[in-house]
Amino acid sequence: MTDVATVRDLEVSLVRDGVRSDVLRGIDLSVRSGEILGMVGESGSGKSVLALAMMGLLPTSAQPRVGGTVGIGDTDMVNGRPDELRAVRRNELGVIFQDPMTSLNPTMRVGAQIDESTHDSAESLRLMTAVGIADAALRFTVYPHELSGGLRQRIMAAIAVAGRPSLIIADEPTTALDVTVQAQVLDLLRELRDEFGCSVVLITHDLAVAAQIADRVAVMYAGRIAELGPTEEIIHRPTHPYTVGLLRSRLSLDTPRDRRLLTLRPETASAAERLKGCAYHSRCPLAVEQCGVEQPPLAPAAEGTAEVSSTEHVRACWRSVSDVQGYTHDTLDAPPIAAAPSSGASDATQPAVLITGLTTVFTLKGGGRRRRQVHALRGIDLSVAAGEAVSIVGESGSGKSTLLRVIAGLAPATTGRVQLAGRGAQMVFQDAGSSLTPWLTVGDILRERLRPLKLDRAATARRIGDSLEAIGLPETVSTLRPAQLSGGQRQRVALTRATIIPPSVLLCDEPTSALDASLAASVLNLIRELRSSLDMTVLFVTHDLAVARLMGDRVVVMTQGTIVESGEADAVIRHPEHEYTRSLLASVPEIGVLS
Amino acid sequence: MTALPEVGTRRFRMPAASLGAHAGTRLSVAILVALGILTLVALFARLLAPYDPVQPIGALNLAPGAEGHPLGTDSIGRDILSRTLIGVQVSWFSSLIIVASGLVIGGLIGVAAGVFGGWVDAALMRFTDLFLALPGTLVAIAIVAALGYNLQNTLIGIAVVWWPYYARIIRGEVKSFAARPHVEAARVAGASRTRIVFRHIVPGVVPTAIVTASLDIGNVVLLLAGLSFLGLGQPAPAPELGADTARNLSQLLSEWWVPVIPGLAVLVLSLLSNLGGDAVRTLLAKRR
Repeated sequence: MTDVATVRDLEVSLVRDGVRSDVLRGIDLSVRSGEILGMVGESGSGKSVLALAMMGLLPTSAQPRVGGTVGIGDTDMVNGRPDELRAVRRNELGVIFQDPMTSLNPTMRVGAQIDESTHDSAESLRLMTAVGIADAALRFTVYPHELSGGLRQRIMAAIAVAGRPSLIIADEPTTALDVTVQAQVLDLLRELRDEFGCSVVLITHDLAVAAQIADRVAVMYAGRIAELGPTEEIIHRPTHPYTVGLLRSRLSLDTPRDRRLLTLRPETASAAERLKGCAYHSRCPLAVEQCGVEQPPLAPAAEGTAEVSSTEHVRACWRSVSDVQGYTHDTLDAPPIAAAPSSGASDATQPAVLITGLTTVFTLKGGGRRRRQVHALRGIDLSVAAGEAVSIVGESGSGKSTLLRVIAGLAPATTGRVQLAGRGAQMVFQDAGSSLTPWLTVGDILRERLRPLKLDRAATARRIGDSLEAIGLPETVSTLRPAQLSGGQRQRVALTRATIIPPSVLLCDEPTSALDASLAASVLNLIRELRSSLDMTVLFVTHDLAVARLMGDRVVVMTQGTIVESGEADAVIRHPEHEYTRSLLASVPEIGVLS
Repeated sequence: MTALPEVGTRRFRMPAASLGAHAGTRLSVAILVALGILTLVALFARLLAPYDPVQPIGALNLAPGAEGHPLGTDSIGRDILSRTLIGVQVSWFSSLIIVASGLVIGGLIGVAAGVFGGWVDAALMRFTDLFLALPGTLVAIAIVAALGYNLQNTLIGIAVVWWPYYARIIRGEVKSFAARPHVEAARVAGASRTRIVFRHIVPGVVPTAIVTASLDIGNVVLLLAGLSFLGLGQPAPAPELGADTARNLSQLLSEWWVPVIPGLAVLVLSLLSNLGGDAVRTLLAKRR
C-alpha cells in the first residue's frame, strides 16, 4: 500500500502573544491509502497545528518556523511554492472543520458553495445525495443558517470530497454536535472512505470517538507522538502511561459511581522543565530518572515482549511494556468518595427545589412584524429533595439550560412556579472563563459575593483564602485576573464563587464540557466533594449520559421542553423506558473497560 | 478547544505592527510623549510667548528669522510666534473640552440607553438619531450665529452636535457587555444592579471610549479651525489659528509666512492628535 501523506521529523514553532514556542517537536507519521487515522490529544498537544501544517496553511501571523517535511503525493507542503500547495489543496485534500457554521460562507447558497469545487450542479446534487442529504434538490438553494448542524457538516463533507481528494482532514468534526448527530457524522466519514476510497485523518480530543471509526490511532502529547498503533491495540493494550491515563480518566457508562474519578496528575513542571526528556515525565506516575533527562524514541512496542502482538505498534517510553501494563492492572481501583448525605437527611419535609407547571415561552422578533414564539419549556414538574443530586440530560434545544436559568432567576417563567430552599441557588456556567469578569481579580470577584455578610477586611481575606484552599487553589490566586488562570483553575474559581457562601442548591450548566477529559474528571470530583462537605443539593445539566449517571442520584431526561423520563441513575441508563433515552444511549461512543 | 472570546474592545491593528511588536510600541510611546510636550507648550503658552500677541511691537511684515521675531511679524507688526503659541493653546484646549463633553454627554446617554433598554433605550436613541440627522457643522454655525460670535458660544455650538456619535458607540458596547456571561454570573452571585453596571459593564466600555475619543480630537481641531476661518471664533484681534490664516490670506503671494504659519500649526496639531489616537489604540490593544 502506498502512503498518501508522509510526515518526517516535522518541527513547528509558532509565536503566540509575542512568545515563540515549539508546538510540534519531531513528528514522524504516514497516512496510508484508504485508512482512517485517528489523531488524539488534549488541547495544546499540537494536533490541530499538525493538520494545518499538512495543508500548508500554518498562519503566517504566527511567524511559523518549520523543520522537516510533509509530503502529500510528490509535493512538499513545507517548502513547496504557493501555487503547488494550492494545486495540492485543490486536487488532493478535503477539509472538514469543527464548526461548519463558520467555515461555510453565510452569504452563499450551499449548492453554489459545492459548485465552486465541482463546477457542475448535477455533480453537486449527486454529492449531496452521496453524503446523505435527503431532498438534495430542495436543499441546494438554501443558506447555511437554514440547515441544522448535522446537515451543515454534511455540506462541508460534500465540498471536501468534491475534488476527489486522496486525503480528508477532519478537525474535531463532531465536537460542536449533539451525540446523536455525532454518531451520524462519524458514520458519514466512514462511508466517504468506503465510497470514495480516500484516507481520513480524524483529529479529536476524545479517544472513544477515534476508536469508533479509526483503523489506527496516534496519541499526541506536547507536540510529539506518544503512541501509535492499530485502534484495538491502543484501546485495549495501551503501552504508554499517557494513553493509560487518558483511557482511565475517560468517563463511561460503566465508571464506578461510588469512587473518585481517576485523573491524570496535574502539570507541575515549568515549560522549560517539560522540554527536557520525555514531555510527560512530570505527570507520569511511572517516571524514572532517565525520563527527565533523555527523550525516548518512538520504537516498536513489540520488542522483547509477548504481550503486544503487532509490530505496527510504536511507542515513546523508557519503561517496558510490561511495567506500563502491570501498572494499569494494579491501580484500576480508585478510593471511594465520601458518602453523600442520604437524600432527605437534612430536612425531609421540605424539598430543596419544587417546580410546578413551569412553562417558558420566548418571543423572538423576526424581520418586520413577524414574531415567533419559542416554547422552551412546556410544563415542567420537578421536585428535588434536600441533599439530592439530579442530573438533567438532553440535547441542544431540549430546554435543559433554560430550566436551569429559570431556577437561577436569569430567565422568566411564563407560567408555573419555582420554589427554592432558604439559602437560594448559585450557578456554575459552562464557560468558566467568560463567566468571570475579565478586568476584576479573583479576590474582587469573591469579595463581591461576601458583601452581604459585612465582614471586616481581615475576616473577608481569611474567608477567601480558606475557600480557595478548600477548592485546591493557592491563596495567591486572589490577586490574579481570569486571563492569567488555566481553564481548570477558572472553573475552580467559579465554583469558589458559587460556594463561598454555601447555597441550598448548586446549579451546574455543563461545567466540564469545555475541559479536557482528565481536567473534567477532577472538576466533577470536586463538585461531588463540595456537595457532601457543604450539604448542597445539586442540579447538574449535561448532554453527556456518562457524566449524568456519575453526578446524579437521579437522572432526568429532557427533550423539546418536557421531561420524558426520570428515575434512579443506573436504572435509567440500564433500562431506559422512553424511546428518546434509548436513542441517546445508542449514540454514546463506548470503548469498553481496559482489559 | 475553542479560544475564549476576546476580552474588551474591538481589536484594531496599526500598520506599524508590521515593523515588529516593539517598534509599534516605541513609536506609539514617542507620539504620546510628543503630545505631552505639545500640551505643556499649550499650557504655558503665555510664558513662552516672547511678546504680547495683540500689540504691534515690531516692523511690519518681517520675514521669519528676523532678529527678535523667529517667525516674523504680520501686516501690523505683531509677533507671529506669540500669536501662533496662543492660537495653539486655544485650539488644543478647546478641542479637548469638546471631546470631553462628547464623552460625558454621549457616555451618560449611551450607558443609560444600554442599561435600561426597552422604551428608555428607544426614546434616547431616537433623540440621538435626530441629532445625527442634522448637519452638525451647520447647526453649530446656526447656534453661534444666534448666541453671538465668541469662543464660548462656538464651543457650546459644537458640543451640542458632537455627542451623538459617542452615545451610539457607547450604547452598543454597553449592550454587548451586558449580554456577556460574566454579567449573568454577577447577577446570580447577587450583585446589585448599580454594582453590575459600574463594576461589570462600564469598565469594559472604557477602552473603546478612550480610543474613540482620542481618534476624534483631530476632527475637532480641524472643525474649530474651519469655523474660526469662517469667522465664527473669537472676534479680532484675538489670536486664533483659523482666523489668522483667513484674515491674512491676501498676503499669500507677497508675505506668504503670515497666513501659512498659523495654517501649518493647525496641520501639526491635527496630525499629532490623529497619530496620538492611533498610538492609544495600539497601546490599549497590546495591554489586553
